[in-house]
Amino acid sequence: MAALIKRIAINFGGGYVPGLNAVITGAVLAANELGWEVVGIRDGFEGLLFPARYSDGGLVKLSPSLMENLAGATGCILGTAAQSDPFHVRTINAENMVEEVDRSDELLGVIKKEKIDGVISVVGSRALSILWKLSRKGLKTVCVPKSVENDVAATMLSFGFNSALGFVAEMLERCRQAAQSARRIGVVEVLGEHAGWLALQAGMAVCADAVLIPEIPYDLRKVAARLREKAKAGRTFGLVVAAEGAKPAAGLNVPPKSSDSKMKAALSPGASGNEGFHVMERAGQVAAEVALEVQRLTDQETYPLVLGQLARGGTPTVVDRQLGLGYGAGAVRALKGGQSGIMVVFQPPDLKFMPLSEAINKFRTVPADSEFVQIARALGISLGD
Amino acid sequence: MKNRQVKTKAPTGLVLNIQHFCTHDGPGIRTNVFLKGCSLRCKWCSNPESINLKPELAYKPSQCLGEKQCGFCLKNVCPESAIYVVGSGDRADDKVWINWDLCTNCGKCVPVCPTNALYLFGQEMTVDEVLGEVEQDSTFYRESGGGMTVSGGECQLQPDFLAALLAGAHGRGINTAIETASNVPWDFMAKVLPHVDTVLHDIKLTDPERHKKWTGADNTRIRANLKRAYETFPDKKFIARTPLIPGVNDDEEHIRVTLAFIKPHKNVVDYELLPYMRFGESKYGFLGRIYEMQDFNPPTPETLNRLRAIIDEAFGRIGKSARE
Repeated sequence: MAALIKRIAINFGGGYVPGLNAVITGAVLAANELGWEVVGIRDGFEGLLFPARYSDGGLVKLSPSLMENLAGATGCILGTAAQSDPFHVRTINAENMVEEVDRSDELLGVIKKEKIDGVISVVGSRALSILWKLSRKGLKTVCVPKSVENDVAATMLSFGFNSALGFVAEMLERCRQAAQSARRIGVVEVLGEHAGWLALQAGMAVCADAVLIPEIPYDLRKVAARLREKAKAGRTFGLVVAAEGAKPAAGLNVPPKSSDSKMKAALSPGASGNEGFHVMERAGQVAAEVALEVQRLTDQETYPLVLGQLARGGTPTVVDRQLGLGYGAGAVRALKGGQSGIMVVFQPPDLKFMPLSEAINKFRTVPADSEFVQIARALGISLGD
Repeated sequence: MKNRQVKTKAPTGLVLNIQHFCTHDGPGIRTNVFLKGCSLRCKWCSNPESINLKPELAYKPSQCLGEKQCGFCLKNVCPESAIYVVGSGDRADDKVWINWDLCTNCGKCVPVCPTNALYLFGQEMTVDEVLGEVEQDSTFYRESGGGMTVSGGECQLQPDFLAALLAGAHGRGINTAIETASNVPWDFMAKVLPHVDTVLHDIKLTDPERHKKWTGADNTRIRANLKRAYETFPDKKFIARTPLIPGVNDDEEHIRVTLAFIKPHKNVVDYELLPYMRFGESKYGFLGRIYEMQDFNPPTPETLNRLRAIIDEAFGRIGKSARE
């Protein structure tokens, strides 16, 4: 089976993560050792679905010589998909009407026509489901998980997390210095819809006063008590780190969202009151709400700050370069072994392969008895519970 | 015609919602009937649940009881394994999540949900069923000069049903209005407009390229349709409307170009500005879609008043610019 492979492709789902170029390098160099050719698909699957939009036809030949100095470079030479879903491609039909059409069969046809024997897709949790659907339709696929929040189930460390962690910790350190000199409480929102690893580990690294994560619903009275205690001792400043998915404990201070309900009902029938809480809110909402409430409860001035997507940028650290190269080479090893419909996972000290059917809908969250949680508590960091 | 997003199965239509006692879409107190399906994809859409021309699943997490207390939908109900929980049972928040990329809107999870956290947007209704509900409010129409407004989505994507519904309303003495973006084939409009008293139609942007960028399709046909409609139906009342989106069309040039387009036609009796609101934002979450306009704020009252003053002047209404 493996001997049939001559040409493989690599592409990327939405969202930049430090180390994408390292994955390309790992895959290209490993494939080259096997005598395979590697092409890159521009912007997810867009390069194949809309070749006319690209001066190079949407496919880039990736040679080992192109890989010199690439692994540590920032960015992604192939581009990432914005919302590339071949099952729902937005199209203008003959009647000038917009509709979403299923172009998955056409995509599989183009992949065959281009003589691509397998596709390595570097994707986040959403696109994982799309790749699973494509693999069920016959695409030979190996996925590399991409998560700056490190929330991919079954993999201990996603590439990019280490770079993001270093950046977030440095920003938190600066925020704390600013809070200290201005005698204020900084409330910093960081990425983490499902899992609080980034907030917890970066918050621990700078000994924040409180860290709020999605896994532990918060009661800001507990956080305020700790900050007031600190203020009594003359230290009237503080740093609260909140993951964007952090939520108040049930029944507590869910802030009302004001709007003209009558007009809303007339123009927008499905909308109502506080609905939308729990779904991912817009960036900055958690920081704004926590900052206001902490100010109310402590009578100390607070300032909200959103790091958000900034954590995704930048150059990969050496750890992430190694991981990226490893995931890329691991994906080639899987294809060589005749595997398909699987995801490469890192379970130290091994790279393993996991069926996509077991990988979708799963997230790696912070367990309540995690060593990180215990250490944070031991350091006196309030987790809001 | 293939490629047309039209349901020919009249007289039933895919109805999203019927909303009573509305005062923002046409004269008097009105009942708004929202039809499903749209031929544009405006980035600011406040009714994302109206876009697809088929019933679709929505999920209100605030009503979910969670895996431990309930969990019925997790017990092999979904054929696509699209319902899941995050974490391993030790989380305080154990509400379910929907994998929207796997969900096929089959609706099998809806009947097992005891709190209606899972529900379907859109149901097939006959003309008589809709009119039966609309007629409950007939006393209010008579006293306020109101009636029925059919909105969407793009209500004209179901032309046979819509024409039958409007004709039925007229038959019962109910005043009719539609709210439309007019991006449909002309023969759809030719079927519908004879049964409409007031046409509320959008003019979102005037430049074709910019129209395409923000709404998904250019406005060439919209403009041709509107011009033809003004001329073909001189006795109908048309009201032009612009959803005013900051940084997109909240400028004087848009207002003036629009006025130049509508003013030659005496049957265009007004031009309204609808300030952009974040009505739809939470619903994008229910449907698992991404709201692309999250960093935009509603236009300021100053901008609104300034732009409305230009319109009032064009319609010879001096000094009314301070209205809401």
